[in-house]
Amino acid sequence: MSALVIKSVSKHFGGVAAVSNVNMEVPSGKVTGLIGPNGAGKTTLINLITGVLTVSEGSIHFGAQDITEVPAYKVARAGISRTFQNIRLLAEASVIDNVMIGFYRNEKTTTPASLLGLPSARRETAALRDRANKLLERFGMSKFADQEAGGLAYGHQRRVEMMRALASEPALILLDEPVAGMNDVEAGELGEIFRGLAKDGMGVLLIEHNVRFVTNLCDFVYVLDSGRMIASGSPEQVVNDPAVITAYLGS
Amino acid sequence: MSNFFTVYHHLFDVFLIGSGYALSQWVVMRAGVFSVATAGLASIGAYCAAILTTKLGWPHPLSILAGTLLGALTGLLLSVPLARLRGVFQAIATLAFVQIVVAIGLFSDSLTGGAIGLNAIPILIGTKENLLALLCTIYVMLAISATRVGRAFEAIRQDEAVASSLGVSVTFHQSLAFGLSGAIAGLFGGLEAFQTFTLFPNTYGFGLIVAALSYVVLGGRRSVAGPIVGTAILLILPEVSRPLADYRNALYGVIMMLVIAFMPRGIVDTGLLYFRRRRLAAKAAMESQQ
Amino acid sequence: MLAQQLLNGLVVGGVYALFALGFTLVFGIHHLMNLAHGAVFMTGAFVALYTVLAGMPLWLGFVFAILACGLLSILIEVTAFRRLRKSGEAEFGAIISTLGAELIIVTFAQIVSGSDVLRFPFETFPVEIFEFAGLRVTLLQLFMLVSSLLLMLILTYYLYRTPLGTRIRSVSGNERASVLSGVNPNIIYYQTFFLSGALAGAAGVLIGLSFNSIQFAMGEPFLLRGFVVVVLGGMGSIPGAMVAGLLLGMLQTLTAAYLPAGLTDAIIFSLLFVILLVRPYGLFGKETAGAMRAER
Repeated sequence: MSALVIKSVSKHFGGVAAVSNVNMEVPSGKVTGLIGPNGAGKTTLINLITGVLTVSEGSIHFGAQDITEVPAYKVARAGISRTFQNIRLLAEASVIDNVMIGFYRNEKTTTPASLLGLPSARRETAALRDRANKLLERFGMSKFADQEAGGLAYGHQRRVEMMRALASEPALILLDEPVAGMNDVEAGELGEIFRGLAKDGMGVLLIEHNVRFVTNLCDFVYVLDSGRMIASGSPEQVVNDPAVITAYLGS
Repeated sequence: MSNFFTVYHHLFDVFLIGSGYALSQWVVMRAGVFSVATAGLASIGAYCAAILTTKLGWPHPLSILAGTLLGALTGLLLSVPLARLRGVFQAIATLAFVQIVVAIGLFSDSLTGGAIGLNAIPILIGTKENLLALLCTIYVMLAISATRVGRAFEAIRQDEAVASSLGVSVTFHQSLAFGLSGAIAGLFGGLEAFQTFTLFPNTYGFGLIVAALSYVVLGGRRSVAGPIVGTAILLILPEVSRPLADYRNALYGVIMMLVIAFMPRGIVDTGLLYFRRRRLAAKAAMESQQ
Repeated sequence: MLAQQLLNGLVVGGVYALFALGFTLVFGIHHLMNLAHGAVFMTGAFVALYTVLAGMPLWLGFVFAILACGLLSILIEVTAFRRLRKSGEAEFGAIISTLGAELIIVTFAQIVSGSDVLRFPFETFPVEIFEFAGLRVTLLQLFMLVSSLLLMLILTYYLYRTPLGTRIRSVSGNERASVLSGVNPNIIYYQTFFLSGALAGAAGVLIGLSFNSIQFAMGEPFLLRGFVVVVLGGMGSIPGAMVAGLLLGMLQTLTAAYLPAGLTDAIIFSLLFVILLVRPYGLFGKETAGAMRAER
């Protein structure tokens, strides 16, 4: 089953095309890569998928659902989670609160129950706190639970952002340069986690700059340059594609 | 001695009402909306309640309830067009709203009494009712903070893009915050109407905007205790010494400038943060010893 | 009758424009709102009045008012803005701290004046009335119109034709750029705030003379009307503020003349509200100026 299908998508800002006529599929249970030089339109594409930006032309489907015109919060509710290129945490909130907001999508508490502080609402909050603590344990972050997220070291902030995205139990996760600024060991560890997620049936779209990381990890790779898809295929095919080599060396 | 009591008794009522307005201001800011509509919403609640009782003979609890609902409804209606605007532009639009309410209050004197005031409102509300209303409001605010809606507010306040990327609807929660703000302002406006005898449109103008904002800024914008502590300090300070009372506005001004520059989170939030950091540091020290 | 009303509106509108220019200048260049602008305006009227009461000529009062308000405005920059500029929440913080500055200045004026309404002595400004083509215009009105236009011209010339003005505009809202181009950002702040305050002070003197009723709270209605002008013209737009000031002046005299008394404020502020909903970047502002949220 194909999780995300992008058909002939274009986006213009004024007269300038940031993304033009892009076709792409992100199946569940696989790690799909999206690479391209700086300014190729990768982040624009993510913003189009997640509904932060509206597409100028084309369509985006997620499972059976047409999400072309759907606003960001509904895309998230449909089961697409993301991380941001320049980590965006709730800097003033504690680490555990940052993870807890990730559960929001699947919370059962209704708005009136929350306003009235009904026991059911408080019970769910307590249950989520337990789950968040378990997640922190799994990522080895328990001792930071009560610290302000904004004060953490860079690598730890990345992990918090990842935990938050996972807490929403998405069917598809979009990772925007998740290993930027990490060394090979740290990147390798994260890569294992991504593989594990795919094995459990999640769709993973990995947006990267680092070609080696992508070729090691991905099942299928797309290459974007100047807003156009210039190549796609297995990692081996793609890195040997002359157009890709020119795009990277030429820039 | 009884004189002493009546003076401070009155001050306590002013504090209870002021805290209500402060919480109305606080709850919109909690959801990341920079609205100053509280003054106008309070005016609507006060006039609605007073007019229903003085002109139509409604029992006062029903009038106050109607004022509360009308405040909530106005807040909700305001939130729809304001959702398109950002930051300071929301502030200017809500400032315009407050001025429109004042101007209409002055203009339609057959209904509101205009600049002469709406007179002969029976005094039917006292400390007990004020206290009950404030406690109920505080309960709801605490309930929000401890459950789902509070987490959504906090996420929106800090980063709207992150909030919506996790499925939180910014528009819905900001409308909800506006509605709550309107309900609280309307409720306390209605209560105030039945303890002042006369209502003037200008009571709910620029001055109340400044007061409600400064209560929240001084106390803190995050914890529920913030706006209440802020109100208490700003109302009590001028009573402590006579010279401070003469310069009351200048005192507010100095406090606003100093707090925003040196303690931008406000007294309560800064204090809570300080104790939390100390506790964490102590915990870390314990763990490193073991 | 209509022509007469339009003329009166033009005179008041010129002063609105003058007042709003200073406000929009600071917003356009530093992206900060100075809510103490109304208090600076009031200070202008006070300085001119006390100069005249001390037996000095009016023109000297005018000069003193401009200088004093320019300096007061710099003082506001140093005390209310400087620390906030470096923090992330300058936009919100500036509103609070300049509101604080406004309260301080107004309270001070209240104490100085004993809360009284003060007036210029009779014939401080010669009372002369001219009539032509059926229109009545006083010498004071002519003076107001000419000096507003003149000050606006000077400001425009300074901003668009001198090297210093070009530099101010080029660093608009971007402290890094100004540092890179070798300009001490503080110098830019001093200049814009001085200009802003000087214009407000001049407007204060003109309004003080024209209504001849000077009191500590006179700045507030002007600040509120200032919002209408800067939003109508487009926040940060210099030509926008000029045109919108004149428009507001005329709208106000027309509504006061032809509609039931007391409706003017309701109309003016409804106009402000509607502009913000329909066209928040105003007549001359750019759509990208940040009034609207990002897409969705």
